[in-house]
Amino acid sequence: MGLAKYIIRRAIYMVPLIIGISLVSFLVMYAAGDPIQLATAGNPSITEAQRQFLREYYGLNDPIPVQYLRWLDHFIHGDFGRSLYGGRPVNEIISSLVWETAKLQLISILLAFFISIPAGVYSAVKQRSAADYTVSSVAIFGISVPVFWFGIVLILIFSYYLGWLPSAGAHGAPYLWPVFGIKNEFLDELAHLVLPVTVLTFANLAYNVRLLRAGMLEVLRQDYILAARASGIPERKVLYKYALKNAITPLLTLLGLSIGAMLAGAPVTETVFSWPGLGRAYVTASLRLDFPLIMGITMIITIMILIANLVTDLIYAWVDPRVTID
Amino acid sequence: MNLRIRSESEKETKRRSASQWAVAWRRFKKHRSGLVGLGMIIVLLVIAALHNVIAPYPARPNPDAFKPLYEGESAQPPSWKHPFGTTVMGTDVFSEVIHGSIYTIYVAVTVTLISMALSVAVGIVSGYFGRLVDDVLMRITEVFLVFPSLLFILLFSRIYQLGVAEPFWDVFGIKIPVGLTIVVVIVSIFGWASYARVIRGEVLRMKECEFIQAAKSLGASPRWIMLRHVFPNILPQVIVLATLTMASAVLVEAAVSFLGFGDPNTITWGRLMEESLQDLSTVWWAEVFPGLAVFLTVLAFNLVGDGLSDALNPRLRE
Repeated sequence: MGLAKYIIRRAIYMVPLIIGISLVSFLVMYAAGDPIQLATAGNPSITEAQRQFLREYYGLNDPIPVQYLRWLDHFIHGDFGRSLYGGRPVNEIISSLVWETAKLQLISILLAFFISIPAGVYSAVKQRSAADYTVSSVAIFGISVPVFWFGIVLILIFSYYLGWLPSAGAHGAPYLWPVFGIKNEFLDELAHLVLPVTVLTFANLAYNVRLLRAGMLEVLRQDYILAARASGIPERKVLYKYALKNAITPLLTLLGLSIGAMLAGAPVTETVFSWPGLGRAYVTASLRLDFPLIMGITMIITIMILIANLVTDLIYAWVDPRVTID
Repeated sequence: MNLRIRSESEKETKRRSASQWAVAWRRFKKHRSGLVGLGMIIVLLVIAALHNVIAPYPARPNPDAFKPLYEGESAQPPSWKHPFGTTVMGTDVFSEVIHGSIYTIYVAVTVTLISMALSVAVGIVSGYFGRLVDDVLMRITEVFLVFPSLLFILLFSRIYQLGVAEPFWDVFGIKIPVGLTIVVVIVSIFGWASYARVIRGEVLRMKECEFIQAAKSLGASPRWIMLRHVFPNILPQVIVLATLTMASAVLVEAAVSFLGFGDPNTITWGRLMEESLQDLSTVWWAEVFPGLAVFLTVLAFNLVGDGLSDALNPRLRE
């Protein structure tokens, strides 16, 4: 009962936030100037009459508040309008890209999460050992390396120099990438995933490991760990059951945040690997000032993040009994 | 008599406050990777200060930057004459990386100043006053925290670059790039929130300390307490956060320029990479070296940040 009430209250709380964010994005964009003028500025073959027609078609002649309200009305009915380039419905564009981004992100986020747990715990337990220095150095390398540069270096080595892996895209059809000489659609998809997943996992992993290592160092100094060890509980259980449970909460928050922001994708990584995802679509849309598409992607991401935050808070309350939902 | 006692106690406090930083420095000196980072930053500063002397070719608006092209040496791999090679359009990558260092420093310093000012102000006010002020400020902070800031930074940079008429402001003979400054302001506005949270946490912990209670009961105004008691005590944290901000500012600006949203009139490291991305398969050196410069700079700031955080926050050490 309390839980249902809590979820409903949080959902109501999201409404002004969603409206606020859409309003700010809308005003910033449409105050920048006439999108048709901006979109066709470099195209001398378009006449003023055609521009006028386009403005009429996209409803850009009305005052901005009217345009916003119309956008909001369509948004509530699940319609994001049409792209300024080619006129494809935004819903269709987004739904064709969502899966590729989600696939890439989910694999990387989960890989990073599960690798970081043993790495972070081991590095904290064996503080100042060779293994700890290795883990810490890799982590500081990971938070310092620009993802686009790392991606480019991997492409140079593994695609251009060695020729082992594809450098761009998510699928190779009609020319499938041969893995060990075998041409297979599934293997082709895997081959395309390797480099972008490596880059993204590495970036996520570095933050996770640093967070977990610091948390574990703090927790391992507590008296209850000493008490647990003194009472002869196996070290494995002490570490993974007693210590990790208390050190993992910041990591769970980060996991929630990154799953929420998942659809924001990694605009940089997706651009480097020409990945057909939402992040890259956002970059192209912003460069071309394709306002309806930008609004659509922004709103999808906003809603995803708000839902993920709610779920994170619920998980938090479940993991940590000191946190109560009310 | 009275006077002498006062001056002596003043001397005492002066010496004590100096030794706090001296202790931190002594601890920092033992942090080998921190020292390496500091050395790298000093090298970067020297390069930036002497960029016109070190670089064999001038920076880009000057037509001499394209000299390798006229000498028939465009798209050449690294050699003794062109240590980082040359680009397809015939510029010397080494010179461009050297010239780009001043913009990197400009970005690191300005983003840090703006976002630190914002986060310190919000963190202290929010933590000190609590209640409604805290509630309102923290809700605003959360909005900034939750949303993927890079997307907004890209969009806002693109839109506000449209309004740039003059590429440079002339301030006392120093040319300040307008477009880059816009990016800097946008990056700062979307970057302060997490630091404000950290600082607020520190202030909350400190608020219960006896010296704050004492100042309050002596009738000190909130402004006095915040400026003279709270701020000096969170300074160590602020310094650590500032170093980390420099690292992330350089990284974010490079990404913004790399994606093509940067200042078109400023040749930053990220922009160098954007220009040569299409030639990646042939002219790899034009990508690898500017990116390496970004990486080493960010690494240096992060190493110093880690060293400082160990040196200034002894309670985090065992």
